Amino acid sequence: MTDPNIEREFSRLLSQPQEISERAPSSLKARLYSTLVHEQQASGPLASLDSTVAAGHGICVWEKLVQITPVGERAKSPFFCQVCHARLLAEMFDAPPIFWAHCPYVAFKK
Amino acid sequence: MQRVAQTPAGEDPAVVDDRRLVSEVLRKDRKATAEFTARCADYVYPFVHRRVMPRTEVIEDLMQEILLAAWQNLENFRGDATLRAWILGIARHKVEDYYRKRIRALELQEDEHSAEESAVLPVFDEHLDAAVQQQRVQRTLALLPEAYALVLIWRYRDERSTREMAELTGKTEKAIERLLARARETFKQRWNNDRP
Repeated sequence: MTDPNIEREFSRLLSQPQEISERAPSSLKARLYSTLVHEQQASGPLASLDSTVAAGHGICVWEKLVQITPVGERAKSPFFCQVCHARLLAEMFDAPPIFWAHCPYVAFKK
Repeated sequence: MQRVAQTPAGEDPAVVDDRRLVSEVLRKDRKATAEFTARCADYVYPFVHRRVMPRTEVIEDLMQEILLAAWQNLENFRGDATLRAWILGIARHKVEDYYRKRIRALELQEDEHSAEESAVLPVFDEHLDAAVQQQRVQRTLALLPEAYALVLIWRYRDERSTREMAELTGKTEKAIERLLARARETFKQRWNNDRP
């Protein structure tokens, strides 16, 4: 049986929380997001950009270009951020120099 | 990114918004998935960080496991509780899985040695400023073998009883007590060696 005084001392010492930043680092969010979308793609195509807009979400300038391109819906479903420099920068830096409107990787900086 | 949701009478607007977000993520909407990631990462990060400190290098792997488990089980989210409570439940399981694996790995070495803990009370400098003391706690934990640090955090930070820890790791309560005794003894030695 452990001495209750020793137990109390360790509880006092180890239960004190250290101050931790409340928010996850933006680069971590960026990497998690990329991983999650890849996982979603593994079980079928992502929702179309049209349905994203219809749901009230904004899309970035590159996604807008894809959206208005006269090709089939299937061609518009990939994860275009995969080939965007914004993703690369956001996954590497916590304050990446990217400023596109409606880019999820920019939003992670907030 | 957060939008105002229509709130049926009597329903918590946060829960309604969580349900809206979850249904959009299940449709594999990329923007909703970004919002889900940002929100859940902020819920989970302080929880995980606090439980693995000072070994922060494992945070990313754990968070990835938690987010992927959340995605794989998202259809089970009923919205009875908030998304925050739901994902923190997953996080708790994943963190405890991590503790279990690390502590089980120590099994053979530990069981071969009986632990003798000195009856001397540790002197933990109560006069120290709380922030300074916590820095020293983190330094000391970082110097311990990982399983020792985890068993101390599990017992004293998460307030798990030795019986619960025994059940979760598949070890006997006696083995957990021996492990804790060795961990405390090593902690005390390292703490005293760190004395300025």
